[in-house]
Amino acid sequence: MIIETHALTKTYGNKTACDQINLSVEAGQIYGFLGRNGAGKSTCIKMLTGLVFPTSGSGTVLGRPLGDVSAREKMGYLPELFRYQDWMTGLDLLNFHAQLGKLKNKKDQIGRVLKLVGLEGQEKYKVGSYSKGMQQRIGLACALLPNPRLIFLDEPTSALDPIGRKDVRDIIVSLKDEGTTVFLNSHLLSEVEAVCDSVTFIHKGTVVRSARMDELLMNKISLTIRAKGITEDLFTKLNKHYELQKLADGSLTCSLKDYEEIPSLAASLISNGVTLYELTPHRETLETVFMQIVGEEG
Amino acid sequence: MLNYFPNSSVTHGMGDQFRPFAIQMVTKMGFQFSAMLIALLTIMLGSGAIASELDSGLIQGVLTRPIQRYQYILGKLGGLIILACTYATLLFSLILVIGALFGLSTITSLTFSQIITGWLLYLLLPVAILCLTVFGSVSLKAVSNGILMIFVYILGNVGGMVEMIGQYVNNNSVIGTGIFISLISPFQTIYSTMERVMVPSSGLAASAMSGASLSGSGKPASIWMFIYIVTYMLGFVILAIRKFSRKDIT
Repeated sequence: MIIETHALTKTYGNKTACDQINLSVEAGQIYGFLGRNGAGKSTCIKMLTGLVFPTSGSGTVLGRPLGDVSAREKMGYLPELFRYQDWMTGLDLLNFHAQLGKLKNKKDQIGRVLKLVGLEGQEKYKVGSYSKGMQQRIGLACALLPNPRLIFLDEPTSALDPIGRKDVRDIIVSLKDEGTTVFLNSHLLSEVEAVCDSVTFIHKGTVVRSARMDELLMNKISLTIRAKGITEDLFTKLNKHYELQKLADGSLTCSLKDYEEIPSLAASLISNGVTLYELTPHRETLETVFMQIVGEEG
Repeated sequence: MLNYFPNSSVTHGMGDQFRPFAIQMVTKMGFQFSAMLIALLTIMLGSGAIASELDSGLIQGVLTRPIQRYQYILGKLGGLIILACTYATLLFSLILVIGALFGLSTITSLTFSQIITGWLLYLLLPVAILCLTVFGSVSLKAVSNGILMIFVYILGNVGGMVEMIGQYVNNNSVIGTGIFISLISPFQTIYSTMERVMVPSSGLAASAMSGASLSGSGKPASIWMFIYIVTYMLGFVILAIRKFSRKDIT
């Protein structure tokens, strides 16, 4: 495991920011870390990066104990509230971070990350003159500079336009292809769904669910039914087998565990004299799962 | 001021006998004013050195690099010391050059060893202030730290005055209070020692001038006081490192 934590807890006075967090992140995957604002995600990431000290519990990152300096040689971090020395040029900033990271082949590495984040030619301008999106890109470049084995991205696309978001998504996928583990915290669930292999949901400082993305989304299939002639008796009868719900537009939805249930449901509707106009299966999205898991927890 | 004494109604016609008095006063004022300027500049430099980076989040990108927290503190302190000492050297040289150009005997009569010792003591002032200010910057917000440091600096001047008053009224408890204040804020002691090196007291003018500046009791600071000052500086740097090493960067 590239990240492993045991009962990691952080309290500030009476307030518990993270409570007994247990994480196991396999190397080489894109790991989504989800939760509402104030759920404790950033605090947890800061404990993993050594910025915040846990009140109790333990953990390892890249095989080293939390806070160990040597682990940071192969670690990248893009903070949620990214701020960089705005009096420096992009190139100065990257040189500064390369020196802090004790990098060899500084020039090559800087050229590589500038190309990767799409800031080639912009490096001679001051960071203070960059747009918010460009500042996020230079922050990402700083995080990518040590060619990290593990990278923490805390809301990496919050300041980017749709094209910028796609670029970052592509970078994340390419990092995975190169064997880098990406620990991604994002509120853009479609983005997380598109790239993540596993996700953990955190709510009020506690892990409420961890699962592989395919397991999470393939558990249930949502079905939209538009039909005429469904009597109350038939609705009650069907509701015993399928979780039917009436929608405001007159259509029905139900949840199925398997695609194989669709033909039998269609057959029972038709055999009961129902006129069927539409029967559309939907794969469950991460957003609906998120709402179920985090919403249920209140 | 050099023209004031010969031409004033009180001293008119008394010749040049007040000139040494005026020269000493001008020289001391020059050093006092520049030392105060350096002290305030140093406080401005140091008060937000770490606090503002903590506030803005700038520090997060730096501390997730493979560096120890003590390296960050020492790096910051080192940079600030170089900057403050450069300013201080510039001001110190300026006073000497201006003094020499105007032919002030207090400046033209200085020996090389006096200049070097005075200069090193002059540099010690911003360095000592920075050691305390950096500790404050780890613990407080930039503005609060700046206000507190100005207060501590002024307290040192008050300590010097209290000690001086104690000497005049010959009251040991007042002198003790002045010394106690100087232990909290030893910056005035550093300055007054530097002043004694650069403007040594002798003759009639010195007698007239004793107490004309905020130089404490008039007695030079002992070696123990300087050992205390070095311990004071190192102590605050160690405290800053200890506090910062355990600080959550939120």
